Amino acid sequence: MAGGVLIVAEHLERRIAPSTLELIATARPLSRALGDERNARIAVLGHGVREIASHLAGYTLDVLLLDHPALAEYTGDGYVQALRGTVESTKPRVILVAHTSQGYDFAPALAGTMDLPLVTNCLAVDLEGDRLVATRRLLNEKVQAQVEIRSDRPIVVTMRPGAVKAMGPARGMMTVTEVPVTLDPSSIRETFVRLERPQVQDIDLSTADIIVSAGRGIQKKENLALVEEFAKAIGGVVGASRPLTDMDWLPKTRQVGQSGKTVRPKLYVACGISGAMQHVAGMKDAGLIVAINTDPTAPIFEVAHVGFIADALKLLPATLKELKA
Amino acid sequence: MPLNLVVCLKQIPNPDLQFQIAPDGKDIRRDALNYKLNGADEYALEEAVRLKEKNGGRVVAVTLGPKRTEQMLREALAKGADEAVRIAWDDPAAFDAGKNARLLAAAVRTLPHDLVLTGVQSDDYVNSATGGLVAGILGLAHASVVTRVAVQGSRVEVACELEGGLQRVYTLPLPALLSIQFGANTPRYAPLPAIMKAARQPIKELGPAALGLSNWEAVPLPYAFGIRGLSPPTAKGHAEMIAGSVEEQAKRFAQVLREKGFVRR
Ligand SMILES: Cc1cc2nc3c(=O)[nH]c(=O)nc-3n(C[C@H](O)[C@H](O)[C@H](O)COP(=O)(O)OP(=O)(O)OC[C@H]3O[C@@H](n4cnc5c(N)ncnc54)[C@H](O)[C@@H]3O)c2cc1C
Ligand SMILES: Nc1ncnc2c1ncn2[C@@H]1O[C@H](COP(=O)(O)O)[C@@H](O)[C@H]1O
Repeated sequence: MAGGVLIVAEHLERRIAPSTLELIATARPLSRALGDERNARIAVLGHGVREIASHLAGYTLDVLLLDHPALAEYTGDGYVQALRGTVESTKPRVILVAHTSQGYDFAPALAGTMDLPLVTNCLAVDLEGDRLVATRRLLNEKVQAQVEIRSDRPIVVTMRPGAVKAMGPARGMMTVTEVPVTLDPSSIRETFVRLERPQVQDIDLSTADIIVSAGRGIQKKENLALVEEFAKAIGGVVGASRPLTDMDWLPKTRQVGQSGKTVRPKLYVACGISGAMQHVAGMKDAGLIVAINTDPTAPIFEVAHVGFIADALKLLPATLKELKA
Repeated sequence: MPLNLVVCLKQIPNPDLQFQIAPDGKDIRRDALNYKLNGADEYALEEAVRLKEKNGGRVVAVTLGPKRTEQMLREALAKGADEAVRIAWDDPAAFDAGKNARLLAAAVRTLPHDLVLTGVQSDDYVNSATGGLVAGILGLAHASVVTRVAVQGSRVEVACELEGGLQRVYTLPLPALLSIQFGANTPRYAPLPAIMKAARQPIKELGPAALGLSNWEAVPLPYAFGIRGLSPPTAKGHAEMIAGSVEEQAKRFAQVLREKGFVRR
């Protein structure tokens, strides 16, 4: 069966990335639009990952297992070379990849190497006749764009994690087909050395009930004292957006977001944080989100429950005064 | 070993601004924007200059964009780039990352390159696609979301950031392309004499002929790309927005905290 949708699964240390389950949910309406809801497959690349493949078969998708010792760790070259044959033989209309760090690496490399069209970081995709229509966000989430791509070649699409709801497993099991991998290990130029983990010292943000986070909007390192005072007054701890930990205003352990901590406190106060997707990924499930920002169009207000269009450096002291009154 | 370094720099509208959509709905209104060097590219530029300072060599800064980008290129020269190249395709929007990458790749091909650096993402279009595409098109070894770079002879060791603070370390052979992550280093400020000097330095312009094209529309693409339209985002959220004076807002904030039981009194 050719055509349809091909999903590229992502996994690390025998765990399936949550974004892969979101891709399955994205694939369903696409394959329906292509005329055959069952014409979607998922490719699992790796070594000794049959368990992952079998698990994914529970989502009633045909699973292609591409097993090779040279795929034991992700490398751009290894993945591109291994998947190339599958793309050529199954000729999918759409190739779905998650817009994760690994996806940033793999999707454009595949598209560049195989001369395929590419559209990344999509919130939604649709097929209309011979066109793929993608919804994206530009300029700090302040502008939405619909772009269309027409092509007779497979279109590589990356989906922003969290944009669609993941699918639960369905009833019934599909087959896992082992696909022979033609791969010359000596042609893989990237050599994996090791996986590094963050050292955990300091406080553990992920267990805190109340987090008051500071972003670049607080403007000066000295202003952190104010955020700390406010956090203390309400029994919380201080978190931060990435620029603050990059500048060493706070230790890396305080960074909330995609490349930092995922937190789920009862209260999250975002002070001078714009709400970039990588920050929101780490705090959107907080119980109550309060955002303070001078820009009424800041995307943080999209995830907040309570929003103050205000200068955090003025609102925090004023609120402290109120609390003490 | 002296290194031939190429760094791709993009000029973007300051993303802290508010944006209006142009009447035809195909671009933002660009008449009153101020532009700056893309955030991640500041780190890519700094990394290139440091690699030169450490290993010897040259840094060439390349951009694709209209005349206004010359100001950004001069800033790069003042911060340590040795040469600046502008691909003189003047589309102010240039939404198609695939076309941009093919033009950048064609320009890089004309330059000696041991290491090509890009930023991890452009903050205006957030594709995180250009670096990987250029690598794929040119057949370069590549690594993405790079936070650490060390050249060791004919190889380079890099740390690539994953979700949740994990990093994968790789080594790869030169020539290679790396997309550099925010925070990879601390970008420098340009010293005043260097700014003065950069103001007089020539900027090389590449027209279509220099890239082997008959015109800017002649880039061979495996697809047709179009912008259907831009719109203000459909608001997902329904935040209770609290207006008023700071004192009024503070009262309400304190009240919310009390109501929800986060403070006692
Ligand atoms: C691969 C990758 C991973 C990333 N991971 C993370 C991550 O884990 N966590 C993270 O946070 N980011 C992450 N980022 C960076 C992210 O894209 C944004 O750059 C970052 O979140 C922006 O931080 P910010 O909101 O503090 O700064 P900005 O975007 O500069 O926003 C500052 C905000 O403050 C407002 N402001 C200014 N002055 C005031 C004032 N006086 N009072 C109130 N508001 C004010 C402004 O209106 C603006 O909205 C990642 C990026 C990449 C590419
Ligand atoms: N027009 C451009 N000129 C030069 N470099 C660019 C251009 N567009 C993108 N880049 C580079 O590619 C990186 C990633 O951009 P993007 O793929 O748009 O997210 C940027 O950080 C730049 O280094």
